[in-house]
Amino acid sequence: MEFKQHSAPHLRPATRVSRVMADVLIALLPGIIIYSIFFGPGVLINLVLGMATALAAETAMLYLRGRPLQPFVTDFSALVTGALLALAIPPLAPWWVVVMGALFGIIFAKHLFGGLGYNPFNPAMAGYVVLLVSVPGVMSQWLLPPGLADGAPGFFQSLSIVFTGSWPAELDVDALTGATPLDEVRSGLMQGRTLGEITTAPIFGAIGGVGWQWVNIAFLLGGAYLLYRRVIRWHIPVATLGSLALISLVFYIGDPDLYASPGFHLFNGAAILCAFFIATDPVSASTTPRGRLIYGAGIGILIYVIRTWGGYPDAVAFAVLLMNMAVPAIDQYTRPRIYGHKHEP
Amino acid sequence: MSREATSGTVRPILASAAGLAAFAVFSAGLVALTLDLTRERIQTNEDLHLLSRLHEVVPPDLIDNNLHEDTLVVEDDPLLGQQEPVTIYRGRREGEPAMVILPVVAPDGYNSPIHLLVGIRADGTLTGIHVTRHNETPGLGDGIDSRKSDWHKQFRGRSLDDPSREGWKTRRDNGEFDALTGATISPRAVVQAVRKALLYFEHNRERLFAEPEPEARGETP
Amino acid sequence: MSQQSYGEILQDGLWTRNTALVQLLGLCPLLAVTTTAINGLGLGIATLAVVLGSNVLVSLCRHWIPHTIRIPIYVLIIATLVTTVELLMRAWFYELFHVLGIFIPLIVTNCAIIARAEAFASRNTLPRAVADGFATGLGFAACLVVLGGVRELVGQGTLLSDAHLMFGEAARGLAITPIPDYPGFLLAVLPPGAFIALGLLVALKNVIDQRLAQPAPATEPGHPAATAPD
Repeated sequence: MEFKQHSAPHLRPATRVSRVMADVLIALLPGIIIYSIFFGPGVLINLVLGMATALAAETAMLYLRGRPLQPFVTDFSALVTGALLALAIPPLAPWWVVVMGALFGIIFAKHLFGGLGYNPFNPAMAGYVVLLVSVPGVMSQWLLPPGLADGAPGFFQSLSIVFTGSWPAELDVDALTGATPLDEVRSGLMQGRTLGEITTAPIFGAIGGVGWQWVNIAFLLGGAYLLYRRVIRWHIPVATLGSLALISLVFYIGDPDLYASPGFHLFNGAAILCAFFIATDPVSASTTPRGRLIYGAGIGILIYVIRTWGGYPDAVAFAVLLMNMAVPAIDQYTRPRIYGHKHEP
Repeated sequence: MSREATSGTVRPILASAAGLAAFAVFSAGLVALTLDLTRERIQTNEDLHLLSRLHEVVPPDLIDNNLHEDTLVVEDDPLLGQQEPVTIYRGRREGEPAMVILPVVAPDGYNSPIHLLVGIRADGTLTGIHVTRHNETPGLGDGIDSRKSDWHKQFRGRSLDDPSREGWKTRRDNGEFDALTGATISPRAVVQAVRKALLYFEHNRERLFAEPEPEARGETP
Repeated sequence: MSQQSYGEILQDGLWTRNTALVQLLGLCPLLAVTTTAINGLGLGIATLAVVLGSNVLVSLCRHWIPHTIRIPIYVLIIATLVTTVELLMRAWFYELFHVLGIFIPLIVTNCAIIARAEAFASRNTLPRAVADGFATGLGFAACLVVLGGVRELVGQGTLLSDAHLMFGEAARGLAITPIPDYPGFLLAVLPPGAFIALGLLVALKNVIDQRLAQPAPATEPGHPAATAPD
């Protein structure tokens, strides 16, 4: 007779992977809708490309590795990877950018390490970093939110931009695209201007960038849904956003001319998306409650450090990957004490 | 301690020391021999290398002298961005001043200061610029490097008044110079460094050419 | 100690115990320099010269080197050879030396060289030590060239693009551009690309070894079905 053995941590019975991933996709919806309202159909084209490529790569890799297709292809995990990656790429980037990122994420970061459940790094972020390092020019050309430019290109114009790589003559690239608020602040500071001067530019809204703040609030709603559905636990989001807010507050109090406010850091870039959707990836995150707090706090602090003193515009992907590397050590030292045993790290 | 015991421990140590010394002498000899055989060639190579870098900003047929034999060392100046004396190279044609090459530093590069050579004709127009050392982000700011893009070519023929003095900025700062896709900091730094080099030339034009042309120098090997 | 045949010595250095692919030694210059095939070739030849020279000297002097101070003496010999090679490169391959920069003097830190001196040259006759140094150096150099070639091809879409650094201006024509208008893939040229490319090369070698070891098609041992935690 065989007894089924579970190792720590003893959490509540795992729901099925497909259910979890479907919930994640549902939770992304409000953010996606607001995002595409502000920034046009390029967002949706990216999503379709990213998810289709991820699914195709997943199927191909399972086939090559001689694994059963059934539980893995339909568990939506590849779709989540594709979606998260697509959301991180500027709308209207050439089609091969999204495709390349999704291929790298699924093939190199996921399947070469053993597939779902074995990958130490978040596949979407690995794919994103490859793109950021390889085609930094493309990755820094963001569409400006409406009101600053004469509206985003229409659906067919977007399609033609994505697939031919050239802009229609009636649209002016320089007028429609530009740097993100995070980038704007960084280059402004390097010129020796103060934050007060920099944030008078029209791209800055009440808390985050114009448009961006609403997208982030929608992602926050999605995150709340995930918490409500108990797909994710509170530890990682709270630790990530809390530590980011705390460290930015400390510097902000020290010199508000040089360091942006906590609100600015929370509602710009991908901090919220990261806290609820990326850092919480069950495979590459820490698995113990205390470990999750440490892991999340590490991500929050790294986001701030890399944004403030680093060389690339947003820091979420680097922060997540660096903390992914630390996960085995964190888990090792935060294993829950077994009842009746002394703690031995 | 008896004399025999001492010599018993000392002997192997002495032998080892002698062995090591012999190898050290042999090694030093080998290096010295190679150095002696290659010294002249290395010096020639270094001169040629410097010269080829300088000639990146020298149009053909503008000068007929040896650039590295007609140099002028000036004290550091904020306009040159340097903190130590700067060697300026002077080009002449039939003895008449034709151009100077100023090595300048743009202190505000994205990742580290950018070193470049700025070639200026006697009439104050640019012959060209050449970035010699930089650490800008690959794929973004490194377009300032002439091996990576043609961005540097827009400076040729420009002068302080072409475009106007207010126009010596990148387009993103409402100036006249192209920036690079996705990069604003590196082009801005280079444009400002070139502008300052032109200012320096304007202030010091007389002095830069007035110094007597050095005699055929005896000390160069 | 059983005597290896010359064939075995060659096979060991070039394949079975390849410095780069199996022992993973000397990775710092290996990964930093191999942005193009020619860079790889330059560093490869320099390393080959040093390991060959050190094997020759150590084998020649093996009866006179006091056992207790053999390591300092090996270090002395290797450092001397590296300095000599550096000077020679500055004299005859100045442009290439400029590109390789600090990594030529850093050959001295390649532990594969001192390992061959200690493990092989100090115990073997001159011809055998020569064969070993040659095989080790060639194995390392071949890996450098392949890695450099792959990264150059993927990264900038060319091959042998800077052949003139090594073979003079006449060699500019050697450059090959298989894909015109290739947009370039920066990752391959940057350090992370070096790690990924080396990993793939090691994997390729292991696959070849596996194929050679069992010619019959073997099925992959079954893993338990992967289940997602949480």
